[in-house]
Amino acid sequence: MRTYEFEGKTTENAIEEACRTLNLSRDEMEVEVIEPGSAGIFGLVGGRKAKIRVSVPDEEESSPETVLAGAGPSAEAETEEMEFVRDVLQNILDRIPMKTSVTAERVDGRISLNIEGDSSGLLIGRKGKTLDALQFIVNKIANKALEKKVHVIIDSENYRQRRKDSLIQLALRLGEKARRIQKPVTTGPLNPHDRRIVHLALRDEPDLDTRSRGEGIMKRVVILPRRSS
Amino acid sequence: MKDLIAYIAKALVDKPEEVIVTEIEGEQTSVIELKVAKEDLGKVIGKQGRTARAMRTILSAASTKINKRSVLEIIE
Repeated sequence: MRTYEFEGKTTENAIEEACRTLNLSRDEMEVEVIEPGSAGIFGLVGGRKAKIRVSVPDEEESSPETVLAGAGPSAEAETEEMEFVRDVLQNILDRIPMKTSVTAERVDGRISLNIEGDSSGLLIGRKGKTLDALQFIVNKIANKALEKKVHVIIDSENYRQRRKDSLIQLALRLGEKARRIQKPVTTGPLNPHDRRIVHLALRDEPDLDTRSRGEGIMKRVVILPRRSS
Repeated sequence: MKDLIAYIAKALVDKPEEVIVTEIEGEQTSVIELKVAKEDLGKVIGKQGRTARAMRTILSAASTKINKRSVLEIIE
């Protein structure tokens, strides 16, 4: 097992950086968040970098069979963790006068919780505000109670995927525009997670470049046409 | 509403037995007062007030459901 440490603006960025540097996919390594990092208030004060520790199994044991075998003993602990996190969210929601139920699953080493119930629109909030607040609180509680760092994602009615899809559509449309007018095109203000989606959506366009510009809550993505030489 | 804040606060602090939540109900707006041990104050407020803000967001979603407004006050 070799371990490395990486820093980034967000844990996502740090993980991306790790993937690039080590030339490995996200699934081939174990990521532990040392510092979740924060944008600070409006990103102006107190912003801190996210720090992660990445463990990579040694070459000889990186064959799929061994990795699977290695996951055996910890599978029970993982299920326990997942149950715990699910219960925390369910306990919070039970104290809101709404009928809800929470299901949990593990996706890419993260725990993904899905809320089903009436008035989920209210639970999502404007631009996912309430969903993000629940996610923040549950992560905080889980990481206080559990020994291992966990990353919890909370979703309802597939909101995260819908938001992602609409952002990708937006990115492609703006990319097309930048290409047509041969001038930079800027998105509206986006949070780090949303900006990442835009960057990734245009990563494979050889004639477009993306950059983040601005500070804190007003940070936007600029899409630039690349000079074809 | 009181239970909601009490549950979250107790899960966040080191001394859950010192968490006191009182609710002052008004006709439209209720005020929820949260009191925690001195050492735990930072835990319910969070960096740049992020935890407090998240609790308020959840609280206001919950209150909207019953057509009310609630304000969370953290008492020192």
